[in-house]
Amino acid sequence: VIEQLSILAKDDLPFPPKVEDFFLPAIYPWGEANAPWVTKFTVLIWLAVAILIVLFLVAYRKPKLVPTRGQWLAESFYGFTRNNIGKDIIGPEGVRFAPYLTALFAFILLTNLFGIIPGIQISPMSHIAFPAFLALISYAIYNYQGIKRHGLLKYLKLQTMPPAPKVLYPLLVPIEFFSNLIIRPFTLALRLFANMFAGHIILLVFTLSGFALLASDNFFIKAMSPFAWVMAVVLTLFEVMVAALQAYVFVLLTAVYVQTSLAEDH
Amino acid sequence: MAGDQKPPPRRGEPTSTAWTALGYLLAGMAVWGFAGWLVDRWLGTGGIAIGIGIVLGSAGGIFLVMKRFGA
Repeated sequence: VIEQLSILAKDDLPFPPKVEDFFLPAIYPWGEANAPWVTKFTVLIWLAVAILIVLFLVAYRKPKLVPTRGQWLAESFYGFTRNNIGKDIIGPEGVRFAPYLTALFAFILLTNLFGIIPGIQISPMSHIAFPAFLALISYAIYNYQGIKRHGLLKYLKLQTMPPAPKVLYPLLVPIEFFSNLIIRPFTLALRLFANMFAGHIILLVFTLSGFALLASDNFFIKAMSPFAWVMAVVLTLFEVMVAALQAYVFVLLTAVYVQTSLAEDH
Repeated sequence: MAGDQKPPPRRGEPTSTAWTALGYLLAGMAVWGFAGWLVDRWLGTGGIAIGIGIVLGSAGGIFLVMKRFGA
C-alpha cells in the first residue's frame, strides 16, 4: 500500500490544492502571463455588476400591477432586505439604507454563488481584497451616519462609553473602542473571505482526491474515488447554504452597525 | 429620537447578537493582551504580564457582554 501511495504522489495531478490555485493567470489579450490586472476575478466582478444592473433595470422598467417573473424576483428580494433587515434592525429609518443593503446583499450573494456555478466555480470573495473593500464601504457609511447624527465628539462618546460604573472605565473603554471602531470591518471582511476561501479549498480537495484515488493501480483504492465525488456533490449543496448565509450575515451586521451608530443610547 | 419607543431589535436577531458578543470577547483579549505584551517587554516579566492582560481583557469582555445582552 505504501508503494501505491508513492505512485499517487508522483502523479502530476494538482493535488493537494494550494493557495497558488487561487491566483489565476491573466486573461490573454490584456497582458503577460501573470499580469494581475485582468483575471478571471476581474471579469467575474464585471459580470456580477452587469447582471445585477440589467436584472434590476429590466425588472423596474415597466412595473406592472401583476408582476412578471423578473419583477417579482427583484421586488421580493428588495422587499425582503428592506423589511426583514432594514426595518427590523434599524427601525423606520432603515428604509433609507434599503438600496445600499439590497445592492450589497445581491452582489455578495451572486459573487458567492459563482463559487459553485459550473464553468465559473470560484468566487471573487475568496480573495480578501473584495470583502475588504466592501467592509470598508460599510465602515465608512456607518461612521459617517453616526457622526452626521451626533457630531464627532458625541459619536465617539456613544461608541466608547460602556454601561458600567466609572471605576471600570479604564478597563472597559479600550475594549469598547477597539471592538466598535477597529475590529468590526476586519471581522466583517475576514468572515466572508474565510468562508469562501475554505469552501473552495474543500471542493478542490474532494474533487481532486477523486482523481488522485482513481489514478492508483490498486483496485480497492480506485474504488474509493466515487465516495470522494459523492462528498464533493454533497459539499457543493452545502456551499449553496454557506453562500446565502454569509451574504445575509454580512448585510445583517452592516445594518446592526448602522443601527448602533444612529442609536442615542448605543 | 424623541418619542421613539425603543424597539428590542437585537433580541430578535440572535445571529447579530452572537457576532457582537464574540467581537467583545475577542476585542477584550486582544486589547489587554497587547497591553500586557507591551508591559512584558518593558519590565521583562517573562510572559506573566501577558497572562494577566488576557485574563483581565476576557473578564472585561464577558462583563460587557453580560451588561449589553444579559437579562
